[in-house]
Amino acid sequence: MSEPLDIVILGGGTAGWMAATALVSLIPQTRCRVRLIESEEIGIVGVGEATFPEIRNFNDAIGIDEAEMMRATNAAFKLGIQFVDWGFKGSRYIHPFGVHGPVGMDHIFHHRWLRARRLGLKGDIQDFSFAAQAARDCRFELPETRSTRIDSAYTYAYHFDAGLYAVYLRGLAERRGVVRTEGKVKDVVQDSETGDIRSLLLESGETISGDLFIDCSGFRSLLLGKTLGVGWEDWSKWLPCDRAVAVPSERDELSPYTRSTAMEAGWRWRIPLQHRTGNGYVFSTSFIDEDEAAASLMRSLETKALAEPRMLKFQAGRRVLNWANNCVAIGLAGGFLEPLESTSIYLIQVAIMQLVPLLPGRSIDPRLRDEFNRLIDLQYERIRDFLILHYKLNSREDAEIWRYCAAMDVPESLTRKIELFRHSAIIERYRDGLFPPTSWLSVFIGQGLIPEGYSPLADTMPGESLVTHMDAFRADILDRVEEMRRHERFIDLYCGAEPAVAPMGAEVRL
Amino acid sequence: MTRRIEQVVIVGADAPAWMAAAAFQRSVSNAGIRVRVIELPTLLQPADAYSALPELAGFHRRVGLEERLLFSLCKAVPIAGQRFSNWSGAAPPFIHGYDRPPPPAAGLGLTQLWIKGRQKGLRTEFENFSLGAVAAKAGRVPVPSEGAELRSTFGYNFDAAAYSALLRHFTMQGGVESKAASVADVEMDGDRITAIILGDGERVEADLFVDASGPQAVLIGRMPETEFLSWRAWLPCDRMLVASAKALAPLPAFSQISAFRQGWIGLFPLQDRTAVVAAYDSRQISDQDLLNDLPALANLPISGDAVVSSLAQGIRRRTWVGNCVAVGESAFSLEPLDAVQLHIAHYCISQLMTLFPVEAGTFPEAALYDRIIRRAAINLRDFQFAHFKLNHRFDMPLWDGCRDAAVPETLQRKLDIFAARGRIALYDDETFQEHAWESLLLGHGLMPQSYDPRVDAIPEQEHIAKIQARLNDIVGLVEAMAPVDDFIAGMDLQRQAEVTALG
Repeated sequence: MSEPLDIVILGGGTAGWMAATALVSLIPQTRCRVRLIESEEIGIVGVGEATFPEIRNFNDAIGIDEAEMMRATNAAFKLGIQFVDWGFKGSRYIHPFGVHGPVGMDHIFHHRWLRARRLGLKGDIQDFSFAAQAARDCRFELPETRSTRIDSAYTYAYHFDAGLYAVYLRGLAERRGVVRTEGKVKDVVQDSETGDIRSLLLESGETISGDLFIDCSGFRSLLLGKTLGVGWEDWSKWLPCDRAVAVPSERDELSPYTRSTAMEAGWRWRIPLQHRTGNGYVFSTSFIDEDEAAASLMRSLETKALAEPRMLKFQAGRRVLNWANNCVAIGLAGGFLEPLESTSIYLIQVAIMQLVPLLPGRSIDPRLRDEFNRLIDLQYERIRDFLILHYKLNSREDAEIWRYCAAMDVPESLTRKIELFRHSAIIERYRDGLFPPTSWLSVFIGQGLIPEGYSPLADTMPGESLVTHMDAFRADILDRVEEMRRHERFIDLYCGAEPAVAPMGAEVRL
Repeated sequence: MTRRIEQVVIVGADAPAWMAAAAFQRSVSNAGIRVRVIELPTLLQPADAYSALPELAGFHRRVGLEERLLFSLCKAVPIAGQRFSNWSGAAPPFIHGYDRPPPPAAGLGLTQLWIKGRQKGLRTEFENFSLGAVAAKAGRVPVPSEGAELRSTFGYNFDAAAYSALLRHFTMQGGVESKAASVADVEMDGDRITAIILGDGERVEADLFVDASGPQAVLIGRMPETEFLSWRAWLPCDRMLVASAKALAPLPAFSQISAFRQGWIGLFPLQDRTAVVAAYDSRQISDQDLLNDLPALANLPISGDAVVSSLAQGIRRRTWVGNCVAVGESAFSLEPLDAVQLHIAHYCISQLMTLFPVEAGTFPEAALYDRIIRRAAINLRDFQFAHFKLNHRFDMPLWDGCRDAAVPETLQRKLDIFAARGRIALYDDETFQEHAWESLLLGHGLMPQSYDPRVDAIPEQEHIAKIQARLNDIVGLVEAMAPVDDFIAGMDLQRQAEVTALG
């Protein structure tokens, strides 16, 4: 066997430590050695405290005990995202982690619902989503695994402290063999012929060479962007927000969903954790200035602020290649999409889980690189379209950003999706990429796009029995939801963390 | 919403037309939509057989057609896979078995373990790790059991005319109207058909016209921008021959596809005969020469007449124009190399059901239908072309030409990543999933140069144990399966028992 691959990860934070933990956990040290360079002087952005259900696959793959991780990160459960004031002022809907209607019927359910609605069925489509109902009622239990049961129709994610998650992973990664080096990069040494990165020169004078470099340096994109000069594709004409201001506040009601409230120049998140509530305002400086946005955020807090607001700058877009030469960008170094659908950590995860099976040898096989880039591009583009949908599909007239977004041209791939749904209630499926049709459905309907028609295949059942059927199904969900534990109660029993104490402190110190 | 669709007219012949009718009847006739079939003269020859993928069973379940009727009325034989021989020079024949994908949480697939095993000296061929392939070799019928980690299933070979007649009877019983006629003319208003004029002068109006007429494309072919785009640059065969030979005994559980100098010849076992199909390139051999060579190529005595016909492979520029939708070979066509012939019709029909137009006035569903059909067609074309591209038959013009042919980008990416790492790049709307592509590419000798590094996390002893466990499991499962003849007799017994019970 040849020498193991030397992998150098530049940057700690969520991306760096997720990558380090996965590599060291999944690939034996005979194949690769992992070093991570980070500087305590450089702050981490700490993307997203809200996650997507796919995070569970990642945690399972690298061997994480759920309850332990949740205690260590002050985590709570998440059944979806509530969108407030998006379609129009006063509107409210949940994008649930689970289907609408019975399991396995999602191709036809919404057509039947549209028909039943014309026949006088009351309520909205969320009444038929188990996850949305449980979320609205602040209840949580782990899903039933038998697919015939109504409470198998959902999945879940977490709200956690991303900083503590990185700390937790660092503990795991270092125990499993990742070598951490404290320091800042002074210079990058490249091969004069190929441009490949050969080594990083640290301010301490130490040189760290490697075969494969993983750029987790955040927005600076020190290796992929700055050193290798990989271009940036700007998506800000569709996603105009370019700042976020974030502030934690005291713990509030522990609702099992993220809340996203549309504001005068963007939107505001609320993420309930066990020990605090995360808040932030994502906005566009074309429509509001920083001070005003920060003030607006502070005014909107429901509990007492625990810190000064912190400002972040960004632009929506991605590097045209996420893997160039012998450098792979993971996290913000490769692209940025605002956390409207909690996709930041998902994008980190998907990059890692595609890189692991495609990990190159000491000389880079371009075929592996091309396949990685193909898959990552699909992920970015599909999330991008889904995010743009939220902005495009608004009927608010009360603020300039909303008028701009309602009128803007969107990518053709999205236009045709909106138009086909508007006319026929049809949602195109895809293989690779987040957001199944049920997610699209919740946003379309939630933001007020009720299709003009529905499939004739939904016309086969007599009208009265259809409505009766729907009512009975809704009642079944409610009955089962009422039997569930309160979310807070479930957390106390399953993974309660001691308040205000950094958990696992002894373990993460080295 | 303007007016709903009230009347659908299907124009076509044989199984594709009746499959469409059965699907419509099942899905929308309760919704008040009238379905009428204009039945064109059959395109089938007495020797024709259909070779169907396992997915057809799903179609039968949905429309409510009992599977045992295929065995009792259509001379069906259950098929666990296809055996390919003489494609890759000295390499042994291989079987593409119809394995079901493992449950999603199964983790690192056996393929990656096998690749490392081969690098370490493992001799066992990949097909021995396929339940379907081993069942096929043993002449046994895999019946999938729910929940089992290893699952395989079967497709069918059956008589084409008998199957078409069965579907026709089944559909008519369900209340679909039909009329045997020819299409004399089509009345257009812009890019919409207002009516078709039949040979006897009858004028037939409808809101939606479904063209299931096969390569004739009697309706779609008259629509604007629907010219046929040939794939001959990749798929050189332009002639087809069908014939019959005597039945094989005992019946095998696979079809066999053998390459020869100017094309390929397939033997498709049926209960009472063996269907023989050859596809070849007219630039390489004349019909007469092929007929002369046929007994030697088939290695079986041919009974009755052989019939030759032309074969055009490609896709229409548009597959749904105005109110006219092409399903099956009127949309795109391929040689029957991987049992895709009925599948093409089945696939188009299921997409049409999912995208059934909401109203009669305008059809925005058409663009999505066309995109899906095109992607599916290209994926299938690439699958079939890979057989030709990866051949190891040297110094024969047809085969040399295929090896040298430029590869479409979609396929090149698949070949590249498989050669590099043994991974399959699957796109949207794929018929064949990982296992099928792996069987194809490995069978034709494309050996990956490296494997998923996670494999090295498995200690050597455990690795060997996993491989042996898989082989043992397969032997155990195959042993419990019925041989083909017993399986068919069992179907028959079941029927007799029902008849007795009714009597």
